[in-house]
Amino acid sequence: MSVEVKNVTKKFGSFTALDNVSLKVESGELVALLGPSGSGKTTLLRTIAGLEFPDNTGEAQVLFYGEDVTQIPASERKAGFAFQHYALFRHMSVFENIAFGLRVRPKTTRPPEAEIRERVEKLLKLIQLDPLANRFPSQLSGGQRQRVALARALAVEPKVLLLDEPFGALDAKVRKELRRWLRQLHEEVHITTIFVTHDQEEALEVSDRVAILRAGKIEQIGTPEEIYDKPASPFVYDFLGNVNLFSGRVKDGAVVIGGTEFATSDAAGEQDSEAVAFVRPHDIRVTRVATGPALAATVIRSNAAGPVANLELKRLDSGEQFTVQLSKELFQELQPKPGEQVFVELKNVKIFSDDYSI
Amino acid sequence: MNVLVPSRHTTSEPPWVRRFLIGVALAFIGVFLVIPLIFVFTQAFAKGIGFYFNTITDPMAWSAVKLTLLAAAISVPLNCVFGVCAAWAIAKFDFRGKNILLTLIDLPFSVSPVIAGMIYVLVFGAQGWLGLWLNADNPTFPALANWLNDHNFKIIFAVPGIVLATIFVTVPFVARELIPLMQAQGRNEEEAARVLGASGWQTFWRVTLPNVKWGLLYGVILCNARAMGEFGAVSVVSGHIRGQTNTIPLHIEALYDDLNIAGAFAVASLLAFLALITLGLKTWVEHKNAAALEK
Repeated sequence: MSVEVKNVTKKFGSFTALDNVSLKVESGELVALLGPSGSGKTTLLRTIAGLEFPDNTGEAQVLFYGEDVTQIPASERKAGFAFQHYALFRHMSVFENIAFGLRVRPKTTRPPEAEIRERVEKLLKLIQLDPLANRFPSQLSGGQRQRVALARALAVEPKVLLLDEPFGALDAKVRKELRRWLRQLHEEVHITTIFVTHDQEEALEVSDRVAILRAGKIEQIGTPEEIYDKPASPFVYDFLGNVNLFSGRVKDGAVVIGGTEFATSDAAGEQDSEAVAFVRPHDIRVTRVATGPALAATVIRSNAAGPVANLELKRLDSGEQFTVQLSKELFQELQPKPGEQVFVELKNVKIFSDDYSI
Repeated sequence: MNVLVPSRHTTSEPPWVRRFLIGVALAFIGVFLVIPLIFVFTQAFAKGIGFYFNTITDPMAWSAVKLTLLAAAISVPLNCVFGVCAAWAIAKFDFRGKNILLTLIDLPFSVSPVIAGMIYVLVFGAQGWLGLWLNADNPTFPALANWLNDHNFKIIFAVPGIVLATIFVTVPFVARELIPLMQAQGRNEEEAARVLGASGWQTFWRVTLPNVKWGLLYGVILCNARAMGEFGAVSVVSGHIRGQTNTIPLHIEALYDDLNIAGAFAVASLLAFLALITLGLKTWVEHKNAAALEK
């Protein structure tokens, strides 16, 4: 039981938005489509909704719980879709917006007026906007509009809920709040949900699984832990957080950077060869005195605003710059000043054997 | 650090500049619009109220009023349908030749109405294509040709020609009003409606039309004003048969040519009165439209 996309290709002119993409989302799952702009994530979502149709008819398939809906128009797919800019009906009240999907049903399947009222009121309670039922969209805040858009999509009891950048247009605080609310909502109604985002933090925090898209292809799909800890490519690694690059050589199961050997779990089968090592800023330890394998570097800048401190450093040997993240306590202890020399130890060094470009 | 900023807005000019600009605008409108309008009404009543009512209740005048209303009643709804279709197509779909269609819609604005009238004479007149076809020895559809001849069907120098000419000159009004509005509103709401299960018709009636209703009404009012006031194109195709093919503007010209100045102005006052009603309606709709856009 699942929502499934098979071999979908979609072009806009000469631009390939989706390049033979397949994706399977299990029933009740919450999956994030994560990628930079232009990676095809919204096109994939719109293809599932029936707002776009694959170019390769015949080969491509969209399946809702085993039923082939590839040729079925959006109006008959029973998918719930929340648009990036909400697309609420501006001339209708909040109540009528939510009721719309029920009111447009043909007479034979349309619920009686009393039932429509009851269902809309229940949804209004769910989105905590019952006092604002008679307001118009223009009288609501961004966060409220997004919740109305979600309720409107849920009102038709969709088989799958599709959300296009649901929190993209909101400010940081409301975003966090709504993110938590969406996760809660998903726990309550347990509807298969796919949402598009370009915010890796959002994807990692909210979803059961994350699919990372790049140039119309799915680069990797897995649970947030899987893709964070075992990124399949430098692109995924880079996209999921800040990263420093160190050029060096792989030798005897370790990586040599600037004459110093660092342990890595990825270089087991590698012979002596050029390599780029990827290290996250929080995986670098800064010390005054080298206690193990370490590189010498000078401090360029420091910034201790926020929950963690950031250091901008420059390698003594090659002049390459990199960033380090350290705790406030450690920062207080070290008191690094621009121009001072320090030592850095690299942990969790990541090496990709085939393609070193990000 | 709080510096008190003078309350004057950066873009507002010194008082004497403002007064000068407002004065120029008002003087221009006064000389070219208000004084002539007052003149129309004073001249209309120059020979007394009795003469005024005699002139406008004259059967010839009455027939002109009826013809004008008929032409407007046919052309306005047709343009309304056409305008909505064209605006819908241009704003909501991507297709080849979209820019050509946009340019063609503007054509009646750029072509002199007299030329429009001439084109209809050329196409539908007795010496035109239709006339030649009707009088041909061997028409393609003999039954239709016979029927048209039997019923003495004519387009030029008859009511159908007047209606056609009116439609031609008023084509852009509704479409031009709706296209920018629909383009600004985008396709998102329609897409949302479709995903929620609405059919094409339901989407149109429940989402698209309510969103553009004030813009549509505004276009209809402008279209109606032009339909009733059109002179050039109608003048060419009408044939000026009094009591049969004269609209209000043509009837005014006829009276004026008879040197019946007071009579011409009496009927002109009727047209001016219609224009004032239109203006009032237009202001009201603009106000409503602005309120709707704010929402």
